[in-house]
Amino acid sequence: MTPPTTVFQRRILIGVGICVLGFSLVGLRLFDVAVLRSGVTVPKHAAPPQTMRADLVDRNGELIARDLPADDLYARPKLLKDRRRAAHGLAVATGAGEQRLAKLLAGASPSVLVAKRLAPDARAKVALLKLPGLEYLPNGKRYYPDGRMTAQVVGVTDPDGRGVSGLELGLDPKLRAAAGPVTTSLDMRVQFIVAHEAQASMEEFRARAAGGLVMDVRTGEILAMVSLPDFDPNARSFVGAVASRNIMAQDIYELGSVFKIFSFALAIENHTVRLDEWISIGNGFKIGRFTIHEAERMPDALMARDVLAQSSNIGSAQIAMRSGPDRQRAFLTRMGLLSTVSSELPERARPLYPAHWGTIETATIGFGHGISVSPLSFASAVAAVVNGGRRIAPTFLRNPADARGEQLISPETSATMRALLRYVVTDGTGKKADVPGYDVGGKTGSAEKPGPHGYQHNKLVTSFLAVFPIENPRYLVFVVLDEPHGTKATSGFALAGYTAAPLAGHVISRIAPLLGVPLNPITLAKENS
Amino acid sequence: MIRVVSFFCVALMGLTILTLYHISEQTRVARQDLRVTERRIAAEEVEVSILQTQWQKVAGPETIQRLAEASLGMNDTATVQLSSLTDLPRRGDDTFATVRTANAQAPVVQTPILKISVRNGM
Repeated sequence: MTPPTTVFQRRILIGVGICVLGFSLVGLRLFDVAVLRSGVTVPKHAAPPQTMRADLVDRNGELIARDLPADDLYARPKLLKDRRRAAHGLAVATGAGEQRLAKLLAGASPSVLVAKRLAPDARAKVALLKLPGLEYLPNGKRYYPDGRMTAQVVGVTDPDGRGVSGLELGLDPKLRAAAGPVTTSLDMRVQFIVAHEAQASMEEFRARAAGGLVMDVRTGEILAMVSLPDFDPNARSFVGAVASRNIMAQDIYELGSVFKIFSFALAIENHTVRLDEWISIGNGFKIGRFTIHEAERMPDALMARDVLAQSSNIGSAQIAMRSGPDRQRAFLTRMGLLSTVSSELPERARPLYPAHWGTIETATIGFGHGISVSPLSFASAVAAVVNGGRRIAPTFLRNPADARGEQLISPETSATMRALLRYVVTDGTGKKADVPGYDVGGKTGSAEKPGPHGYQHNKLVTSFLAVFPIENPRYLVFVVLDEPHGTKATSGFALAGYTAAPLAGHVISRIAPLLGVPLNPITLAKENS
Repeated sequence: MIRVVSFFCVALMGLTILTLYHISEQTRVARQDLRVTERRIAAEEVEVSILQTQWQKVAGPETIQRLAEASLGMNDTATVQLSSLTDLPRRGDDTFATVRTANAQAPVVQTPILKISVRNGM
């Protein structure tokens, strides 16, 4: 028989039990941490660099705008031994004014700002100076690798990183909230081609301004938008007031004959004209005390389709008058031309149209005078005419889905209009826009600019609206030249057929293969023969 | 018995202290390395970001075109149709004949393929 345990022994056993239990728990925890959870607590990815705004990229993922670190450089003058030499070195390295720096460093301030938003290469140059008392405060700078090419449409940010123009302003909330890049509808290849050709035409015809846009008529995506003169968004150096304006969205123009597209679309929709009927042109068309003249010499009578092809003002006025003021106004309202076009771009323009819409106004609007709209608004309305007759809103965000909405005109009218636009290019004023094999349809527009004493005969706004391939349209190109001048090659003519039409043709011949538009072998063979 | 248990407990305690110290030291060093690595990753990401931006600039169509014109004497060229549909074999035609192959060599055409003129350079 075992002797009973003493109180002392029982206490020791309890103590041992507690110790064993405690160590067992510690051991279990060690096993858990060292074996079961090994590696779990280590973060797999380092935190990404802090940026204020998301990247802007084009539809193919090419970078358009990005925040890059560009810290502010401060100096503590008291720690600099030779302040004059330091001012010289810092001025050379950062591009800051040497005199300003010398004055600041000689002052009593404990810390002075040397340069804001220092680029990485400038920072490397500063490091080579090995000056004491220099310190950096974190900052960033929005950088646009394509520079001028996207200046107007993409816009810029202010020093605090807030969008102040273009898509930078229009997409500001999205750019601030987005975790990844924001994908735009722009195609940088197309943007470059439009910018390149517009610049070439602007120089060739010594135009005051030039612009162009490319739109997908089914999705409403704007693939390119160019406005010249432009500016360098990285330097923000504006040359003249025009450079800061996006003429394609911000300015309104009396576009002239391109507007005849709507007169014909309305007349065909309402069956007020047959394309094979003869319309008397004559020498001037009197309405009340006004007389409408032609820009070029016309025959006594033209078939209705040739009224559009030869761009007859008198014929178009008569066709518009058949529809009447009410139906014309209602039609243009339905097409969205009498209201501000809405898109992600903050630059918008309110259209100008007559308060009193009488017979004379109907006639002049019939050939594109007396109403001013922005090129973007105009292009969107024409896109609806040719895309099967359905409303389409322009967008600067990638949206490859068919976005066509409400039916505005019948598909039959749309098909007839496409055939007419093709006829304008093959047999009318738009011949220089033709690109064999791509079946371009289009319309020229040459409008005299209004001045303080009426319309100015020597100052034109020429434009060309092109759609391709016309059988089943996909892309719309609209180009504008402000005050182009005739050249020797154009025999001094500055009309759209000589200036804007070739520009559109050059653009289409370069972008169509890029966009994968198939060649039509039948029309190619026909046009080459 | 008590002595053995006590010795075992003390030994276990000592071993645990050593193990815990070793692990905590390893953790401290690992955390330090992690911070350094994170800083390096962040710096590398900034570098990558800058390089991507610079690449976008140097590989942009404007730069490529300028270089191609200046260094290689290249110009814009019109779209050229390499072959036509008539050169391609048709399904069902000449079933037993040798299948014709379409190649990139177009038949010689005297007339220019495209009518439009194309600008050179800016």
